[in-house]
Amino acid sequence: MSVAAVQEQILCDNVSKFYGEVLGVNRIHLSIPPGITSLVGPNGSGKTTLMNLMTGLIRPSRGEIRILGLRTDQPDELFRMVGYCTQFDSFPKGLTGYQFVYSYLRLFGFDHSKSDRLAWRAIERVNLVEPATRKIAGYSKGMRQRIRLAQALCHDPRVLILDEPLNGLDPLVRAETIALFREYAAEGRHVIVSSHILHEVDMISDQVILLSNGYVVAEGQIHGVRSEIEEHPMQILIRCHQPARLASRMFEQDHIVEVRMHSDGRGLLVKTKDADRFYRMLNHIAVDGIDIETVAPADDDVNSVYEYLIGEEAAR
Amino acid sequence: MTRLQWDQIRAVIRLEMRKTFFAKRGLWVYLLAFAPLALFAGHAITMRFVNESRSQLAARNEKPLSSADFGAIHEGMSREEVEQRLGKPPIFYERSMRTRNDANEVEEWQLQTDRYSDGESDYEFEFRDGKLNFIHISQGCDFGRDSLIFAGTFQFFYLRLVIFFGCLGIFMNLFRGELLDKSLHFYLLAPIRRDVLLAGKYLAGLLAAVVIFTTSTALQLLVMGWHLDWNSVSNFLYHNHGFAHVFAYLGVTVLACVGYGSVFLAAGLLFRNPILPAAGILIWEGINPFLPALLKKFSVIYYLKSLCPLNIPVDSGAPPLIAMLVSNPDPIAVPIAILGLVGLALLVLLFASGRVRRLEINYSTE
Repeated sequence: MSVAAVQEQILCDNVSKFYGEVLGVNRIHLSIPPGITSLVGPNGSGKTTLMNLMTGLIRPSRGEIRILGLRTDQPDELFRMVGYCTQFDSFPKGLTGYQFVYSYLRLFGFDHSKSDRLAWRAIERVNLVEPATRKIAGYSKGMRQRIRLAQALCHDPRVLILDEPLNGLDPLVRAETIALFREYAAEGRHVIVSSHILHEVDMISDQVILLSNGYVVAEGQIHGVRSEIEEHPMQILIRCHQPARLASRMFEQDHIVEVRMHSDGRGLLVKTKDADRFYRMLNHIAVDGIDIETVAPADDDVNSVYEYLIGEEAAR
Repeated sequence: MTRLQWDQIRAVIRLEMRKTFFAKRGLWVYLLAFAPLALFAGHAITMRFVNESRSQLAARNEKPLSSADFGAIHEGMSREEVEQRLGKPPIFYERSMRTRNDANEVEEWQLQTDRYSDGESDYEFEFRDGKLNFIHISQGCDFGRDSLIFAGTFQFFYLRLVIFFGCLGIFMNLFRGELLDKSLHFYLLAPIRRDVLLAGKYLAGLLAAVVIFTTSTALQLLVMGWHLDWNSVSNFLYHNHGFAHVFAYLGVTVLACVGYGSVFLAAGLLFRNPILPAAGILIWEGINPFLPALLKKFSVIYYLKSLCPLNIPVDSGAPPLIAMLVSNPDPIAVPIAILGLVGLALLVLLFASGRVRRLEINYSTE
């Protein structure tokens, strides 16, 4: 990999972390490009451990991590590029929301006016202007989450690492926060988000990293990951006016595993072992005069991928 | 150290100030720091009353008396001879006594007690059947004697216990307290080198410790002289190295904070339970006089003892162990003691910076 490429990516090279006998993560090889990347996995799968490793809060037992070419044991350089919104729900005592962000910026060595300006800008971005002068001790869970987010992005980092950032946010703020992540990603920055809420991940991620018991079980764009899981046929939902006629045509194909009539009688759920052949066949059928309204993958999402890879128990 | 790092250290100090000075869990440090002040204040108030009663007693003498007049009185003089020199006593008692002699025979005799004062000291003369049998002098206060009391309290109570435990309370909390509050990550997520963070926290702790303990030392010295008249005080300050002593005590207080601060900052990074390092270091400091010469140098009290302006006189009848504890048989030169202590503190801080660089945030195990 070229130096320029290394300086644009987050690289984990054979990273393992053990807490005594307990495995945190094991043999992680990752190369994360800019965009929104979601770390997905159930509780205890190693998401937070991996994020803490990326930010140097813990050190790997083996291997090395480089964030845009920087080692994680150089906090003085690392955190000028990285903002980390942790899950730790505790704050230095007695501070207001504004003081929390402002003090953090003073640690960068910024003077009062710059720290003040950046602090208010970040507070505005997370919509917390009014309560910013109140003590954090009186904040709701969602407000605490937002002030942590403000702290993470106040210095305009190139890499945002966010541990369960949408926890505790109401739907409106949740939508605004997701928009903020997209805005960051659109500027060519890294946004790494951990979540165990799969539909959220599905909605916002450019790529996912699926973790289970400390191991990476899959990574890449969600649709690419899905198509590589051969043992589970792809499910496709077709809405049409003549589902019975369409079903009879489907059964003629050897790659079709199962066809089920939709409960409202106006569509089919088809399972196929070969999505490419299926879509080619569908073009012919359309030409033959069967009116097809919509075609949509039914299990081309992270939830299904997670279920197939890790099992139903974990996905629940 | 770059300018940026100094700015960062200032930012850390600003943040830590609130915690080191105003934390509820640090309230006991103030109580401890100002406990000796209560002792000296109590002593001063008592001595004020005593001085006042002596002055009143002296005013009741038939004629003005000086210590030289009392110096001329000796055992064996008759009561009339004493009264001839000193006048009628302002206070006197007479009692008939019955005691048994060596032959177990009952003897009857008269005990007469006369009390005088020259305004500074009390003199009590006991006469047996009119002959002066015993002289008891309650000496008045002078700065020399009070200085020795202060020196003893300073060395054996203030340095070894008050500043020791006060620094434990301030410095062990700098990292340990935040690990317990689960808020240390706030600092570790900032672009600040860990050793710069350590320096900032140490200086914040040092500032708090120095302000608290030097204020206490200064107030103790002030209160100590409260019951004395200005002449005695100015005589002590200007003619008996008084100012040098005051500055020496303040300097030793600062250096004690420097030394114990570094030790407890490092201990806070090593131990979860503060009792263990406190007990260990207290014992180590206590056995310092009995350690081999090389090991003595790894002790804060070793340097502080040599910097204290007054040596405590050892009573000839004191047990050898106590005598060893009290005495300082091998004092070191002041510049060497200062350099030695600062060097020891830097060595400990260097070790602590190695620890803090490897520090991991793993609150669940705390």
